[in-house]
This record gives sequence, structure tokens and C-alpha cells, in this order.
Amino acid sequence: MITAKKLSLQYPDGTNALNEINLRIKAGELVYITGPSGSGKTSLIKLLMGMEKPTAGRLEVLSHSMNRIDVKRRMLLRQYMGPVFQELKLINGRTVLDNVILGMRFLPIPKQQWKTLATDALEKVKLSHKIFSYAENLSWGEKQRVAIARAIVRKPSLIIADEPTGNLDRKNAINILELLNSLKQEDTSVIITTHATHLIDSDIVDQLIQIEAGQLQASSMEEF
Amino acid sequence: MKAITANLGYFFKETFTLLKLNKLSNILSLLSITLAFFLLSLVVATWLISTEMVDVLQQEAEINVFFSEGTGNTSHYEMAESFLEIQGVQASRVVTEAEALERMETILGEESEVLTYFDENPFESFVEVKVDFEQVGAVKESVSAHEDVRYVRDHQEVLDQIRNISALQRFLGTLFIVAAGTATLVIISHIIRQGIYHNRQQINTLLLLGAPNFFVSLPFVLSGLVLTLTGGLFASLLTRFTVGLGYAQLATPIPFIPLPPQELLVQNTTVLVLGLSIFLGLSGSIMGIRSSRKEESL
Repeated sequence: MITAKKLSLQYPDGTNALNEINLRIKAGELVYITGPSGSGKTSLIKLLMGMEKPTAGRLEVLSHSMNRIDVKRRMLLRQYMGPVFQELKLINGRTVLDNVILGMRFLPIPKQQWKTLATDALEKVKLSHKIFSYAENLSWGEKQRVAIARAIVRKPSLIIADEPTGNLDRKNAINILELLNSLKQEDTSVIITTHATHLIDSDIVDQLIQIEAGQLQASSMEEF
Repeated sequence: MKAITANLGYFFKETFTLLKLNKLSNILSLLSITLAFFLLSLVVATWLISTEMVDVLQQEAEINVFFSEGTGNTSHYEMAESFLEIQGVQASRVVTEAEALERMETILGEESEVLTYFDENPFESFVEVKVDFEQVGAVKESVSAHEDVRYVRDHQEVLDQIRNISALQRFLGTLFIVAAGTATLVIISHIIRQGIYHNRQQINTLLLLGAPNFFVSLPFVLSGLVLTLTGGLFASLLTRFTVGLGYAQLATPIPFIPLPPQELLVQNTTVLVLGLSIFLGLSGSIMGIRSSRKEESL
């Protein structure tokens, strides 16, 4: 599903965000990427989503080479992903339901199913009582759940959550991580970045990847 | 295509959200577009009127032949008959003094009272010769050669002047189409760029979710189209009103001006303005999106 070989990313200002990282994530795995702020976690996510191109090494995501991906193929690849952004990126002035439906308007899902699928996803994240609330009127934890609902409603092959516990108290953070952990399925991998290692339930995690200063420090899988 | 039809409601909702975003700026843009289209349709309308005048006058090319004093009515009829033999003459008939007076009374209408101040009929008898437009010069020369002919009047000068005015209006019309088109393109392109800038976060989110470019761009294209089409509609309504007013003003004092049918004139200018507004709305929006694409990775 994801293969990185000697993957490096250097920003135009010369900052080395990632340095020769090797990793492999299989379908249906639950993977945590940890490390302190500025260690390169978000840079890795950006590479996985095609927001940046590798400056060296090779990266393959869902059978697409991210080194040579063009705009059209990147768009198609993103349709197989369920991203939960660090800053959530919900659309203000729209209801919770509208925000969730927005995630599938351009996917090959029949219009007649949009509302049912969105309601089911919101039920899964325990927000079915707020479907007509406006995004800007929700708490951060609730917004986090809407973002997760928008990601899962697309039935993605890869769910990517960047620092989902960032602005939450301990109780809400555990709830969100439990919810994300439960999304792992046979054909759906879940990648979560966090610096809150103490909240990770290591019993259910398939891989724990630790990055520091752009370098892979430890991984529960073998390196290439 | 399926994604477009399934999301029609969404696209229109997004379009009106975009238009509401910068209300004042959009209202001012709409006013500018309306004004530009209105001026353009007026120029085009006058151009169409002058073209019609030239056409009508060309079809009705005629010369009037006046005779030397002392020639009797009988010889007028004979001469009118003989003119028919000249190549290029289509018809020839004598207009008596009484008929000439009657014609002037019809032309002057309510103002014909002024003719009662003359003690005698001021008009003289003449021969009216309908001529093939291309051969006016040759016919005029042949007729003038007749010894009893004092003076031949044609409408060549008037026709030339109208033709010059028509050419000037065609030039101005083209200039106006270019000027109004450029101004509208700049306005719409700017509005779209502004909309994209204000919505850059939403655009970015959609792109990260894998939305195709058409899905992200369509509401912006529609908002540009709505602005120009509304401007075009307002301008067409204003033109209809103005042309109606102009025709009413012209009908009484100068009824002999050959104007094209009012409804046809309005219809032609409306089709032109609406066609242009659709074209400029689409082009301006696409220009705005393309120039923003470089900055917003749209």
C-alpha cells in the first residue's frame, strides 16, 4: 500500500524535513507516527498526500509513484484517501451534514445515497444529533468528529489523521484515538501522527514509527 | 457529466454564496457592465438604423427632372415617356404642381399650415425618374443633355453623407465592442480572482479531498456568467425603452426617415448583447481562474 525507500524531503529554504526514510505500510494496518513537534511527521503526511514531491528516494502510495505523479492522477489518488487535517478544514457557514456530504459530491457515489451515508457516518462518530448545526458552532472535539465522518464516508483505502489529538483534553483525545483505531479494516489502513505517545494503545497498533529531526529512529517493522 | 447534474443545486448555491460575499463590489461591477452594454447596444442600434437608411435609399434611387420655363405640360409627359428608353431607368412619371403640394402637406403633417401663407402653389411640375442605383450617374447625364431640362436633382450627396455616417458608426461600433468587451473581461476576471482569494481555504480543502478542477471552478464560472448575463439583460431592457422613446420622438417631426421596424431593431441588439454577455462572462471567468491558478494551485 505504501512503500518509501531512502525518502528525503528538502524544502526550498534548505530545511531537511525528512532524511532517507524507509518504510512499508500494508493494507489494513494501523500505524502511528510519533515524534516531537517539527520532527517531520507532517512533512511525511504531505508527501503521502502529494502536497509535496520527494527531493530524493522513492515513494509509492496505493500503487502510484509520488515522484512522478501528475495533477490528474494525484486528484484520483486523493479520492481513495480519507484525510483528517490538523486544522480540520471544515467549511464554515455549512451544516455538519453539508460538510460530510461535501466529501463525496465528486466521487462515484449515487446522489440518492449521500444523505444516508453521511447520517450513518455521523452516527458512527456519535454526532447524529448535530447534523443541522453549523460547523463554526461546534466545539473542537465535535469538529474533529465531523472531520473524521467526512473522511470515513468516502470509504477510503487509506485514512490519514494528522495530529488529531492536538487541541483536545485527555478524555476527548482518548475518545478520538479510540474512534480512529476502530476504523482499521481489512482493506483500510489508518495512519495517525501524534506527539502524545502516552495515549497510544500499543496492543492494537501494527506499526509504531518514531521520527526525530527528519530521521527514522525506530519502527516495529523491519527496515529495508 | 453525472457529477455536474447531481451537483446542480450545489453549484447554484455556491454561485450565489460567492455573489453575496462581495455585495457592494458585485453591485458596482454589475452597474459598470450594464452601462457598458447599454452604450454598446445604442451604438449598434444607430449603426443598424443608418445601414437601413442607406439600403432603403439605394433601393429607391431616383432623380427629379425640372424643366426650363415655357415648356408646356404636354411636353413634360412626352419627355417622361422618352426617359423610359434610357438604360437604367425603371419608371418615369410626371408629378404635377398639385401633387407636389399634396406630398409636402403629407410630409409636414400638422405643420402643413405654413403652406397656406403662400398666395400661389410654390411647387412646380417635374418628372420623377426611378433609376437603377448603379446607373444614377449615367442616367443623370443623359437626361441633363435634353435641351428643355433646367435642373436634375439626385440624392447622391445625401446618400454619400449617410454612407459616411454609417461607416463612422460601424467603426465606432467595432471600437465600442472592443472597449466594452475588454472592460467586461477585466471586471469579471478581477471579481473571480477576488472570489478565489476569499475562498482559497475551501478550494484547498476540496483539492485535498480529490475534487476535480471543474468541480472547484464551476461556481466561479457561473458567478461570472450571472453577472454579465444580468448586466446584458438590464442593458437590453434599457435599450428597448430608449429605442421606443427615440422612435416616438422621430415619428412625428421627421416621418420620412426610413427606420427599420422597432421590434426587429430591439430584437437584433438584444441578441447581440446577450450573446456577447455570455461569451464575455465565460471568457472573463476562465481568465480569472487561469490567472489565480498560478497563485492558488487551483
